[in-house]
Amino acid sequence: MSVHRLLPASTFRRLALLMVGVLVWELVARSGMFSPILVPSVTRIGYQFWLLAIQPESLVEAWYSVSRGLSGFALAAVIGIALGVLMGRSALAAAFLGPLFSGTYPIPKIAVFPIFIYLFGIGSLSKILLIFLECLYPIVVTTHAGSRAVNRVLLWSAANMGASRARILWRVVVPAAAPFIFAGLRIALPIAMIVVIITEMISSADGLGYLVMYSLASFKTDRMLAVVVAIALLGVALDWLVVRLRDRLVFWERLDSYYAE
Amino acid sequence: MGLGLLLAMLALWQLASRFERPDFILSPVEIASHFAEALRSGELLPHVGASLVRSLPGFVIGSLVGVILGLMAGVARGLDQLLSPVVFLTYPVPKIVFLPIVMLWVGIGDVSKILIIALACFYPCFINAYYGARGTPTLMVWTSLNMGARPSQIFRKVVVPSALPLVFAGLRVSLALSFILLFSTEMINARSGLGFLIRQSESSLRFDLMYVAIVAVAMLGYASDQLLLLVRRHVLAWQEATSR
Repeated sequence: MSVHRLLPASTFRRLALLMVGVLVWELVARSGMFSPILVPSVTRIGYQFWLLAIQPESLVEAWYSVSRGLSGFALAAVIGIALGVLMGRSALAAAFLGPLFSGTYPIPKIAVFPIFIYLFGIGSLSKILLIFLECLYPIVVTTHAGSRAVNRVLLWSAANMGASRARILWRVVVPAAAPFIFAGLRIALPIAMIVVIITEMISSADGLGYLVMYSLASFKTDRMLAVVVAIALLGVALDWLVVRLRDRLVFWERLDSYYAE
Repeated sequence: MGLGLLLAMLALWQLASRFERPDFILSPVEIASHFAEALRSGELLPHVGASLVRSLPGFVIGSLVGVILGLMAGVARGLDQLLSPVVFLTYPVPKIVFLPIVMLWVGIGDVSKILIIALACFYPCFINAYYGARGTPTLMVWTSLNMGARPSQIFRKVVVPSALPLVFAGLRVSLALSFILLFSTEMINARSGLGFLIRQSESSLRFDLMYVAIVAVAMLGYASDQLLLLVRRHVLAWQEATSR
């Protein structure tokens, strides 16, 4: 499916669209209609991006953001998948945890960030834990749905052939739920990025979110937009990695993604 | 059982708060009494109003545009090829990073927050409406074509209803996102609203007011989600009936 969609013609169209957008931006920026602070030209943004990419200190900022985002995300993935499988296979766990998760699901967890700052300090820990909390929900909900939908015949035959409970969980339930789990991971990853940037914007002295606010406060909009581009590219790259991993692990079912093969 | 668990946790919290504790941890009973007090003194309601004025237009505009464009891209090939690559490639980008730019362009007031919320709400709605429209059973389209339905009729009577379950899933994600973005934009810069109230009371060490605002945020998020589910139950009454 995806291979057919991504024949060179559509790649070309996509690139052409991008070029037109960049060209229009550059023309507007050069026309003198707006101040260069409001609309910096693409060449200046590109130059700032180049500076960001070669300066070790800005790479360190990016590393801070990525490591926070990925730590919270990984923690949520491990605990979320375990909880989801548990809820899917145990009626007792579902009865206890199900209402807890569905009841607190629509509550914006970002609101407790100030309490987290007081409890865990203003450094990375409070941010990682908030990312963990926000990412946990989609992962638990999709894993729960996936492990409940496992084909019964597979479970019966595994039990019939003498597989232990733990072995059934690991070899049957988790693989069968894998497409659902990855759907949850793909929902959670952009959330992790959002939360890491937000928390760095609100209270931080490092990371890309801080860099955005710092550049804005010093009216270096070209630098700010370069950081925005970097964050955008990071988001796309991480999503691409998750899709790659999914195609590796869930090789029997292809995802209709928009990444070129 | 879930409610019992919740009550048990609250009771445990209440019991634990009898011991020595830091200033920033309040017991549930204290929070409840502060909440009632803030409601009476009028410290809370103006901020709730200010937040709703930002989040509702943002959610409505973003999700409306998202659903309409998503449905249309799901049925029209030209629009699909024009829009979908852009939407799907920019989907993993955290939309909050555009807040500073939008602030520069349209000012620091409510419009920038509404625009960011609308932008964030657009994506889940577009994607779900798109897949919903594309997932319309071909057999139904053929049947209605065979019975002489016009394309516009097919769109309204076949494509839209069969996309609705996914559209509502998208709306629910958008609603949750709109609250995340609302409170974070208010925490970053605002002079009113619940996010601002949380930040301000935190930095002036008024933990009572901070907890009141957090409880209000939770209640607002929960209530709007329940409202959306209620609408869904009404609109999708036929689907609930068949899936049971």
